[in-house]
Amino acid sequence: MKAAGLDLGSVNTKLVILDNGKPVFKKAVPSRFDPVSVGRELLEEACREYEPAETVVTGYGRVSFPENRVVTEITCQAKGCHYFFPEVPYILDLGGQDAKVIKKNAQGKVVSFVMNDKCAAGTGRFLDVIFKGLDLRPEDTDSAAEAEPVPINSMCTVFAESEVITLLAKGTPKTSVVAGLFKSTATRLARFIETQGQADTLVFTGGGAHYRPLVRLLAEQIAAEIVIPPEPELTAALGAALIANRAQTTL
Amino acid sequence: MIKFPGFRGYRCACYPVEPARPSPRNAGFRGCRYARDTVMFLSFTDTDAVLRNRVKSWEDESVDNRELWASLGMDLGKHDEFLAPLPGAYTNLFLERSRRPRAMSYFDAVVGDIHGIRVKELVAAKENGHKVFATFCVYVPEEIIVAAGSACIGLCAGAQYTVPAAEKVLPRNLCPLIKSAMGFKLERICPYFQVADWVIGETTCDGKKKAWEILNDYVPTYVMELPQKKRVQDNAFWEEEVREFAAFVEKETEVKLTKDNLAEGIAKINRKRAALKRLAALRQASPAPIHGLDVLVINQLAFFDDPERFASRVELLCTELEERVAQNEGVAPPEAPRILITGTPQPIPFWKIHALIEQAGGVVVGEETCTGERYYRDLTEPASNKDGMLVNIARRPLNVNCACFTPNAGRVKDILSLADNLRVDGVIDFTLQFCQPYGVESHTVAKELEKREIPHLRLESDFSEEDQGQLKTRIEAFLEMLK
Repeated sequence: MKAAGLDLGSVNTKLVILDNGKPVFKKAVPSRFDPVSVGRELLEEACREYEPAETVVTGYGRVSFPENRVVTEITCQAKGCHYFFPEVPYILDLGGQDAKVIKKNAQGKVVSFVMNDKCAAGTGRFLDVIFKGLDLRPEDTDSAAEAEPVPINSMCTVFAESEVITLLAKGTPKTSVVAGLFKSTATRLARFIETQGQADTLVFTGGGAHYRPLVRLLAEQIAAEIVIPPEPELTAALGAALIANRAQTTL
Repeated sequence: MIKFPGFRGYRCACYPVEPARPSPRNAGFRGCRYARDTVMFLSFTDTDAVLRNRVKSWEDESVDNRELWASLGMDLGKHDEFLAPLPGAYTNLFLERSRRPRAMSYFDAVVGDIHGIRVKELVAAKENGHKVFATFCVYVPEEIIVAAGSACIGLCAGAQYTVPAAEKVLPRNLCPLIKSAMGFKLERICPYFQVADWVIGETTCDGKKKAWEILNDYVPTYVMELPQKKRVQDNAFWEEEVREFAAFVEKETEVKLTKDNLAEGIAKINRKRAALKRLAALRQASPAPIHGLDVLVINQLAFFDDPERFASRVELLCTELEERVAQNEGVAPPEAPRILITGTPQPIPFWKIHALIEQAGGVVVGEETCTGERYYRDLTEPASNKDGMLVNIARRPLNVNCACFTPNAGRVKDILSLADNLRVDGVIDFTLQFCQPYGVESHTVAKELEKREIPHLRLESDFSEEDQGQLKTRIEAFLEMLK
């Protein structure tokens, strides 16, 4: 009995297939600004091999899959994180184009949630854009963030970029700038989390959880323990697959 | 990007908008250049004989809407562009829904000719020596205006199309309602603005308060000062404002206010509010007998239409809905999540929030807003003499709990009692961008709802279509949470 979960994100398209509730296939591919065709290809490829009986589609491209059951990424994210951390109620999902804080109950059901405003401030995209401008690969940012952070005040991607250029022009070391970017993002995310309550432990998921300096700075800011799922970019797809699996078993 | 069914092409004034073509689907929209000559397809029931004849006589006179608009000094090109998407949007959002009450046909016809029939009535009234007062707010005492035989109308203020024009004179980070309204006047797109003798403003927020000063350069604007607290001295102050306004209306209309005409003004407006209350009460039923979106458009039209005719049409609708409720019929399945909207007004043609909720499978059963409960909940008490009537006219709006007052604990009580009476599953607190009073009060609303474990979602938006994807995700996730 197989179930598939497809997450059509702005940066990556992710697919998880479960067999009797256990993951047997996991894949994330770049969305290339066309998550719908990327998603279809991915699904077709996996279907040939695994033939899932039920598929749930999530992510912002979900509306283009009307033939499948669609569930929002908020509900899926809660289910996916619940799989790994059933006892942790707070989830931070830092994705490519948005940031979400979700509060779930002991059954993995969403109790409340909040998403960032329509601009890219404080999202994965914000960091990606600036790092690209600094000619840094995400994996290089760990060591770059060891320095003393310089304050970065702008949270608008466009303004922050020019603030960064000004700082570099003044001779501020790149490492301090990177540390500063992480720090200001962590501060913003911390306030965002606190709108939903006081967390003792927080699940940090989504592609943004790969930025280790950000995780460390955020843990300091909210004075909480942060736990990260094994493959944070896949939890929403996993949640979708879990929902598909449940739909199947209740049939 | 997901396109909102309405208002394609609103975003940019230079964007070429395909003109609506006459087709059975949009033929009712006489406001459109290409559709105006086709017959009205919206069928009227037999009781509509009067209105039908009137519509017919207007058509016979062949007084073209365009002539009317030109005579009002409107910018016809921009007006065409503004109205072009309306038929398609209204057809998608309203007419194509199943199980709509038959009595909605009247309101469809009013929207279908939103800048025609009613504007002609107002022009005719002016030719007979009456005045037209345009307002933005539920605190303005329309009873006094109606008592003087004049018309009280709302103003166009719910479209993104006119926002860029307004940003020439107003800051960008200002409430979209104020910007939209200002833009309608600057661009000469709203015939109601053009036909109005006076705009009656109020001091319900700083944005409006200061915008009146600019608007006054384009149309005479009278400002009523609303107090910010509700103490005895504040009530007395407001009563004085209302008396001053009554004297102003007498002077402008050259009609003396009397016990008789005031009683008539009160009765007319009370009847309108009572009809809307009756409609609101019917939404307690499960399954919901009418879509929230249909009620929203009715609430929006309450500000524009002739009060007596409007009330009688709402009453007809209520009678039809009572039959539905008796037969346990509805427009949504009984398990559809029931949503209460609270927050800022949703002026016509701003339908985005209701439409997205109902497209996602929810049903809106109430609006604790100015285009909802705050407009109609409280009636004016009758009195035996003119002075008593003015006192009661002044007293009524002070029961309305707008976020412009401090403290405003009454609003939370209103939300809770509506949530209870309407058996809602969740509350959506909707705030127009940059609305400080409601934006700040959201915190208190959330805290109080939290205490009572009523699920709630906060949304902020404007009249544009860009954020629909994000809104849709939030709304769908909220509905999933309620299941």
